[in-house]
Amino acid sequence: MRATTKPGARFRSESRQVLRDRHAQRVLDEATNRLLEGRLAAWETVDDVQSLRDQACEIRRRAISSLDSNLEQFADAVTRVGGTVYFAKTAQEAADRVVDISRAAGATLAAKSKSMLSEEIRLNEALEAAGIRIVETDLGEYILQLAGEPPAHIIVPSIHKTAEDVARLFSEVAKRPVGPDLSELTLTARGLLREVFLEADVGITGVNFAVAETGSICLVTNEGNGRLVSSLPRVHIALMGMERIVPGLADLAVLLQLLGRSATGQTLSAYTTLITGPRRAGEADGPDQLHVVVVDNGRSALRDTEYSEMLHCIRCGACLNVCPVYRKVGGTAYSRVYSGPMGAVLLPLLQGLARAPDLPNASTLCGACADACPVKIPIPDLLLLLRRDLVEQRVTAWPERLAFEIWAAAWSSPLGYRATACAARAALPLARRLAPYLPGLSGRRLPVMPRHSYRDR
Amino acid sequence: MEPRDTLARFIENARAAGFQVTVGEASLSADAGVSEALYGLADSGSVVLAASPQEPRSRSLLPDVHISYLAEDRILPGLRELFELEGTRLPSALAIVTGPSRSSDIEQKVTVGVHGPREEHVVVIPTDHG
Repeated sequence: MRATTKPGARFRSESRQVLRDRHAQRVLDEATNRLLEGRLAAWETVDDVQSLRDQACEIRRRAISSLDSNLEQFADAVTRVGGTVYFAKTAQEAADRVVDISRAAGATLAAKSKSMLSEEIRLNEALEAAGIRIVETDLGEYILQLAGEPPAHIIVPSIHKTAEDVARLFSEVAKRPVGPDLSELTLTARGLLREVFLEADVGITGVNFAVAETGSICLVTNEGNGRLVSSLPRVHIALMGMERIVPGLADLAVLLQLLGRSATGQTLSAYTTLITGPRRAGEADGPDQLHVVVVDNGRSALRDTEYSEMLHCIRCGACLNVCPVYRKVGGTAYSRVYSGPMGAVLLPLLQGLARAPDLPNASTLCGACADACPVKIPIPDLLLLLRRDLVEQRVTAWPERLAFEIWAAAWSSPLGYRATACAARAALPLARRLAPYLPGLSGRRLPVMPRHSYRDR
Repeated sequence: MEPRDTLARFIENARAAGFQVTVGEASLSADAGVSEALYGLADSGSVVLAASPQEPRSRSLLPDVHISYLAEDRILPGLRELFELEGTRLPSALAIVTGPSRSSDIEQKVTVGVHGPREEHVVVIPTDHG
């Protein structure tokens, strides 16, 4: 990850870089258009997608409003089928727990399928510090791990890599020249990762949904790595954000109908696996142990706040693909984990506004994200609330706060309003000339004001 | 819904998902993994595989070619019906497979078989409607 001087500067500096990068602009256009069009076409195939979204919204509300009892029921059910559940309050606790379980299992190699939460708790660093090698098995994540870079999209993490980039990385690992042909690259990855699946002592996955009534965890992948990681190693550790819970299987059916369609435009992703406990008597394969680590890391504090709806998010990425800001600046500007509109809300909430002060403002509030959200999270409203908090918590710099206070005071009287309009009219020609040299105004065109206001005409 | 409609819908959606679908017997390739599907789902063209002593997980994961035998009368409309039927007796692993392993992670082009089987076949065994 790039070191930045202060957290607020990150979004600006990273996005400037991406905006200048022609290749990045092209792949962002292609990826976001492809996924966005896929979603729209897939939503068409549902009889009444709006009513399905209403149901999904209601399900998520029910899941989160009774979060404690749902989690309790889930933990009991997992225990009944032979699994173990742990609750981790912080990222550190969660990472420590995974390290402890892996050590107890005598693990030297862990295979991991894609999990945004594992990025959030910096699991790879923790395991490596403990001397346990961890290998990403999602093709995109694997490529990024080899390159030493963070993911750039929650669905297509390696969105910015070319086949030549990948061929170079694979040649190094395979210790033979690998060409940039797509099927050759796929075959090479298959061979390299197959060894990892077979040798790994521990398989680490995320959790797309957890079903309270049955104690099942649901994994959704297209590559099938989620299924391999949870089937072949003798220990399966599932990392679950505490808000992944759904009350029952009927609820899961509704959400699964929306997840694949909203993420990639598929009716269902290629592999949807429902895991209910470790392997049972007489079964030839499957893990001997199933551990579910339920992670809080700032989530429970959001429950009874105005921001609780952010806990409804099912991580489909639909809001990224429609966002005019994400579509230009890509994922890395936001953070190493979450990005786009959902990230712009979630990151300040989980890490504190002071660590992500640019994100609530990295939006035009156009509302496309709310329209695309399968569970109808009012993301623009939440961004506005965060902007309010920025001012109230004095994260916004004092000159800006002062300027807005003066403006608000001036415009609260007709005289003040007219005075500022006169001043603006007088200053505008000069401002238009200076704009290209002013920070924040370069690249923008200031409007021409008519000679007389509408009122005076 | 008429049974024949469900079958037709299953076949259409399964082909769209990348399955090679045949009705009746199919020629077996020697090294293919062969499973008996618990159910088929017409809405998405999926086959449902339940882990059991007779049905190891790796059989549908490791071979290059995987074949699922599916009885026509085991085709359900969709997930809702599947969960209604199996909800109280879930296996340790229930895999809902919708086409071969795929990825679009390199230059956003779809490639098949990055991890799981590169070819997924479904052989539907027709029900005798007498």
